[in-house]
Amino acid sequence: MRFTIDGKEIDAKEGQSILDASLAAGVYIPHLCKHPDLEAVGECRLCSVEIDGMEEAVPACKTEVKAGMKISINGEKAEKVRKMAMELILASHPSECTGCPKYGKCELQSMYQYMGVGAKRWRKKSRVLPNNDSNPLITHLFTRCVRCGRCIRACRDLRGANVLDYQVTKTGVRAGIKGDISLKEAGCKFCGACIEVCPTGSIMDAVGIIKEDRSYSDCVVPCRSACPAHIDIPRYVRYIKNGDFQKAIAVIREKVPFPETLGSVCTHDCETECKRGELGSPISICRLKRVAASQDNKSWKKNTMKSEPTGKKAAIIGGGPAGLTAAYYLAKKGHKVVVFEENEKAGGQCRYGIPAYRLPDELLEGEIGDIMDAGIELKTNTKVDTPRRLLEQGYDAVLVAVGTHQGNILPIEGYDLRGVYVNTDFLKQARLNTPRTVGEKVMVLGGGNVAYDCARTAIRLGAKEVHIACLENEKQMTATKDEIEEGTKEGIILHNAHSFLRITGEAKVEGVELQKIENFYFDENNKAVLELVEGSDKIISVDNVIFAIGQKPSGTADMDLELIHGSYIKVDEKLKTSVSGVYAAGDVVTGTKSVVEAIAAGRLSAQEIDRYLGGNGDILEVLIEPEIPSAFIGESKEFANLERGAVIDVKNARLEAKRCLQCDLRLQLTNPKLWTEY
Amino acid sequence: MDINKVEAVKNLSESECVVDFLLKTVSNNECKTCGKCVFGYEGITQLEMILRDITVKKAKPEDGELIRDLCGQMIHQSICEIGSDIAEVILFAMDHKGEEIDGHLMKKSCKAGVCKKFVTYHILADKCVGCMDCIDECEEDAILGKKRFIHVIDQDECNQCGACADVCKEEAIVKAGATKPRCPKKPIPCKKH
Repeated sequence: MRFTIDGKEIDAKEGQSILDASLAAGVYIPHLCKHPDLEAVGECRLCSVEIDGMEEAVPACKTEVKAGMKISINGEKAEKVRKMAMELILASHPSECTGCPKYGKCELQSMYQYMGVGAKRWRKKSRVLPNNDSNPLITHLFTRCVRCGRCIRACRDLRGANVLDYQVTKTGVRAGIKGDISLKEAGCKFCGACIEVCPTGSIMDAVGIIKEDRSYSDCVVPCRSACPAHIDIPRYVRYIKNGDFQKAIAVIREKVPFPETLGSVCTHDCETECKRGELGSPISICRLKRVAASQDNKSWKKNTMKSEPTGKKAAIIGGGPAGLTAAYYLAKKGHKVVVFEENEKAGGQCRYGIPAYRLPDELLEGEIGDIMDAGIELKTNTKVDTPRRLLEQGYDAVLVAVGTHQGNILPIEGYDLRGVYVNTDFLKQARLNTPRTVGEKVMVLGGGNVAYDCARTAIRLGAKEVHIACLENEKQMTATKDEIEEGTKEGIILHNAHSFLRITGEAKVEGVELQKIENFYFDENNKAVLELVEGSDKIISVDNVIFAIGQKPSGTADMDLELIHGSYIKVDEKLKTSVSGVYAAGDVVTGTKSVVEAIAAGRLSAQEIDRYLGGNGDILEVLIEPEIPSAFIGESKEFANLERGAVIDVKNARLEAKRCLQCDLRLQLTNPKLWTEY
Repeated sequence: MDINKVEAVKNLSESECVVDFLLKTVSNNECKTCGKCVFGYEGITQLEMILRDITVKKAKPEDGELIRDLCGQMIHQSICEIGSDIAEVILFAMDHKGEEIDGHLMKKSCKAGVCKKFVTYHILADKCVGCMDCIDECEEDAILGKKRFIHVIDQDECNQCGACADVCKEEAIVKAGATKPRCPKKPIPCKKH
């Protein structure tokens, strides 16, 4: 149907309001209490318009369009209502905008500037109220509330959480928590819809959540942005909540070809960022991934992308998580891919570094099998000489992803005694079932996850007393909390903030001399500074010492590529090395990181190499059709008290997933367009 | 239309002030505890503040027009009849008791003598004996005079506390609304001893 607004004929749908039809047609009418996703209530009257044949101005949001209607936005009567409404709102709203955290992003500010009105002729009324930042994640600054009711309708009607309502207080009526209790007590789901719809600075993300150097959506859904592979975490957690493990695994597999590996060993930065952490403990994201992966019936395979053959050939040197991920996506893009693996089996650190008790062989075999199904040739026990040679042999591109497989040794006194081992070799031999012999007592030197892998492997090899000594104090240690906790449970004795002075013994290790560190930091030249506690040195008698103080790439010196920091391969931001057509990714570039970082690097290198080979660089897969999740989350008074599950299995995964705040739902809300955007 | 309230405005006695009545009515209006619509809630907030100013002699002459303007919109733009009803009552009062309201707006008088700020105190020349009691009592030093001279209240200094009237044994001090008794401008010798 058609109608006329300010002389302009526009189309409207049956049942549409004048406001919706006008805005849809790009004709701006000021409006405040109406939010695109919320019911119209006609309370602010800023959208007043005049209709030909009607005596008084009417609110456009509450008036249905009729065919042939003649409407004027700026008629004298409508303009009078609108201006007075805005003046009245401003009369009781703090007049100083510059100090407000919403400054520049405030709908009210934008609108009164558009209208050019002030509250001069009215009595000013201030309803001063202290800011309330006692709740997690959400800050209330209700002095700024203009009673538009959007937060209330969002909380009650859209979400069904029913936490907010109009509150009658000594200083007047405003939006607020029902019963004036804490958000947790009120059953808040911390979905953030109230923040999203508030047109002023009355309800805002707590300080620190919205960061200037990140995109808004990254700040709102920090788990997803913290994941190096950007797995759509809230989406798969929601599927798990609904018991739909196949859909969950499809979501995970859209970004990573190693879901169960990650579910077992990931460093899960996502959990560190999870907003639920502010309410107690984060969602057990990593373990939920493992549960979903363990239920995988491979139904996602029917939707995988497979491009026509391109006739191009890519060589991948190194069959670890970075190399295999790159191989997987390059094969899907239609390139012929050959992976050269020096060892007997593919898997890299997942195979020869991470102990089997954390990542069993069968699990890894399964995931590598799925990758190989994409049509990849794997040449194991094969050492290549240089990437350049491969180019000469007819490969169009080469990726070097050989990782860091040479453990570092600190040349302190006694480092060459019998019984001294190094992390990479120690772990690899254990994994190959040809373990190094360990005595009763073992000392691991180093404070990262690899140190814990070594220590816990030593226990499994029969050591009775295992120590870990590291320079870092507990806060500085790079080992994840889980590893430290599990290690402690297994009886590992931790000497953090200790320097290792020497290894004692004649021909064979007899002990390690340690000294307590008062202070450990890096100076302005990035040089480690140790301040020791005098007289605190002690010798702990042990039979073996394992160095786990880091590892570096091996064999890169012979690759005829430009290196950096010793043996690392130098690349540009597109992962190109000094030789055209040769790329490098993963630990060999970044130093030892995590499996998920390696996968992310593998994805990036696949995109770049595909582009280099003439493709579009698009490796995104849609393994499951996107569905719009329900905006309704319902009431639950106990929500804030739901505790993180200690052990997550198929039976309780849904319960754990239920704890998710579904931060991503907030991004579905429409961002009202300001007048400048019309 | 709230007939009861309109009737009440009509039936206000000579000792009842219409502005005072409207202020009380507005102060107890339900719009104050609702907050859902701009014209109802912010409207009633403004009405209360403006009416209060009028009763305490702080009104500006243009406030009458402001109230009319606001009430004119409240009638149509409040989302329920509570807002439009109160606006109608106020407009009715302005139409029917305009003179009385204007007296307040012009800062002249509260005809009913209810609004304290409009009441003035005067010392009647034929009753004052010049005893100085009221002068001693007045904390504002607003009363001029000496013994056996008729005392005179300086209206610019008087804060209408009424203490002088309470202390006067001769009942020479009276309150006045719109019509003021004739009194000397300066102390003159007493006729009565």
